[in-house]
Amino acid sequence: MAPGFTPVSEPFAISRVAGRYLLFDVDVMMHARRAYNICGVHVGTVPNLSQQNVFLGIPLELQPEEARVLVEQGHAYIVDESEAHRKGFMQMSREERLSFLKAMDEQGMDISRKAVERAEERSGQALRNKGIESKETVVKETAGEGNELFDSKPTGPTATPVSVKKLEPTYVTPTTSYPPLTPSPPDTSFSLPDVPKSYPLFRYLHSRGYFTMPGIRFGCHYSVYPGDTLRFHSHYLATGMDWDEEFELLDVIGGGRLANRVKKAYLIGGEEKSEEQVDTGKGVGGGADVAPVRAFSIEWAGL
Amino acid sequence: MASRVGNPKAEAQVSEGTAKSQPNSNNADSAPKKQRVKRPNYNEIHAKPLPLEVYPLPTFIPHNPISIVRIAVSLISHSIRRPSSHLVIHKAYFSPETQSIHVTDPKSIRALWEQGFWGKGSLSRSEPHWLDQEKRRRGLDAVQTSEEYTRGRREERRQMKLERAKAQREAIEEQLRKEGKVVSETQIEDLVDEGLFAESPKGTLYSTDSDKPLASTTETENAIISAVSKSAGQNPLVPDAVIEDQEHLQLTLEEAFFLCYVLGVLEVSNNHVAVQPTELIRLFCQHSLFLATETLRSPVPLSQDDVVAIAPDNAFVLKYIVFHHFRSLGWVVRPGTKFGCDYLLYLRGPAFHHAEFAVMILPAYSHPYWSEDPVRAAASRKKENRDWWWLHRLNRVQTQARKTLMLVHVEVPPPWDENGAKRIDISKVLVNYHVRETIWKRWSMNRNRD
Repeated sequence: MAPGFTPVSEPFAISRVAGRYLLFDVDVMMHARRAYNICGVHVGTVPNLSQQNVFLGIPLELQPEEARVLVEQGHAYIVDESEAHRKGFMQMSREERLSFLKAMDEQGMDISRKAVERAEERSGQALRNKGIESKETVVKETAGEGNELFDSKPTGPTATPVSVKKLEPTYVTPTTSYPPLTPSPPDTSFSLPDVPKSYPLFRYLHSRGYFTMPGIRFGCHYSVYPGDTLRFHSHYLATGMDWDEEFELLDVIGGGRLANRVKKAYLIGGEEKSEEQVDTGKGVGGGADVAPVRAFSIEWAGL
Repeated sequence: MASRVGNPKAEAQVSEGTAKSQPNSNNADSAPKKQRVKRPNYNEIHAKPLPLEVYPLPTFIPHNPISIVRIAVSLISHSIRRPSSHLVIHKAYFSPETQSIHVTDPKSIRALWEQGFWGKGSLSRSEPHWLDQEKRRRGLDAVQTSEEYTRGRREERRQMKLERAKAQREAIEEQLRKEGKVVSETQIEDLVDEGLFAESPKGTLYSTDSDKPLASTTETENAIISAVSKSAGQNPLVPDAVIEDQEHLQLTLEEAFFLCYVLGVLEVSNNHVAVQPTELIRLFCQHSLFLATETLRSPVPLSQDDVVAIAPDNAFVLKYIVFHHFRSLGWVVRPGTKFGCDYLLYLRGPAFHHAEFAVMILPAYSHPYWSEDPVRAAASRKKENRDWWWLHRLNRVQTQARKTLMLVHVEVPPPWDENGAKRIDISKVLVNYHVRETIWKRWSMNRNRD
């Protein structure tokens, strides 16, 4: 196990923010990747360096298909973050709020104190370098131990008590909303994520242990990897279709040509509609009975 | 310094001397190899851009009075007896099974190919030269066709890959030897035979646990190739037998219609009856419908009773509009199925340049007629919509082949064939359509910095 890997309790929460499915916790991301072959796409930049968008970090955005697979298999649940925040902060009691504010104040105080200490140390260092030590060291010493010596030496140098009196808590902007809020319990009433029509193919490939990444740059729905995407090149460019969907043969030629060029195979697949499903009009719903999916790979023969 | 300068010169002289002496020593061996087959002069062969005769006036040279006389003579002779631009009307017939127009006369085939690159040989990739290939195979002729060139290139590439795999294998062998897993004398083949390692077809070695060592595909491939060549060798190749040309020229419906309607150099017959362009358009439109061939097999004659009205966005009409548009602008337009697009545009022709543009036809329904009715609006929106994946796929395929993707939108007019007239006034129909071209290119900052 990697250092610092803490086990994740299931089901874990997937945050839904503005219609996107996001994971914010590194441990959860690692867990999803290891246990359930879910890669997602990193979308986070450093806030003050947003031009740097080559290497992205947390949060991890999941495709709706990935979120749905996790929810359907009971490994995760969806949390609508805007609703959760509104409810959580509105329902917070006065004591809770005060204790949170107090905790924030303490944190701010800590930061200020450390800042002052650092500044003093720096100035002391600078003075020492200039060689003005004899008189200043005394002050420095008392200043350095000021906090402990204060009670025993009420008539100490004036500089130290003044700085302590001036000390004000730094204002801390909380970066997470989950210390103040408590994670909401799994809400089963929340509907499953809306997925495109290529979902059955995704579910099928996922059930076979393949890793998938979005394949828009290859003009397909998913690029399919036989193992972790960091270890393997993708083997297939998969496009999901409805079983009865009409498509142009030119698309197959184009897809086959494209995939062949990048040493992959073009894959098309769809959910086979059984007779009764067609009759009852039951769609792709995530029920227990899952219609079989058939997939076809297309390669350039070059005879 | 002087010696330094002098040395390379001497070396060069020596090397030149050896180079000169070598061909002299084994002249009989290397001379026929070095003799390269001269490429045909395509400028001469394809001098005419269209299968028509033109009679330009002689050049006017101001200081040469004879040129004025020549111009006068040709003007007078042309006014007395106007020379015909249509010396030959090529004959062709419509084949509903293949949805194409077949030309079987060898002279017409050559003429149509050489003058404007029309059609495709039924047994060749594009230029009809099955006969040349066959002659070469039987050792009669030494002309290399483009198919053979491609084959040779592929074979070369395969050899390169085999060699690369061999080099990789040797590196692995070296590594294994270093690690002490292999005794220095044993060859890697022995290990593979013993089953210690498995070898993938590409020459990579895997240490096996459960899998049997894989047989290399190159061996099986070679076996197949040798078997095929054996069976081919059983054919008694009679060198001096006259080979019958089994190839014909296939014209697409749009090409045939252009030759017929615009140039008037082609006569298309259906069931041995010549069809006029005014009726031909209906025939072609009916056959370009999906699954039309089964219901409209050739026995069904073009009778006035069961006329199907031509939809304004009929596939043939849309393709023909675009074909006509680019052909009229001087491009050589050829089908682009192999690149997953509708047309490829060549500057002058495939013998001269690679295709510059790949054309994809998209119907556009911006006429108010199409948005009047909600049902109609929904149907037309469905027809004109494409998804991003489609566009990315298409663009990437074209970029790989170094072509520029051109999206051609054809504005579809309201229906014009509701009463189903037997003869269609084609020029009136064509006027209704409008064509918009859009070039689609991926723009990347680093590659487009000049």
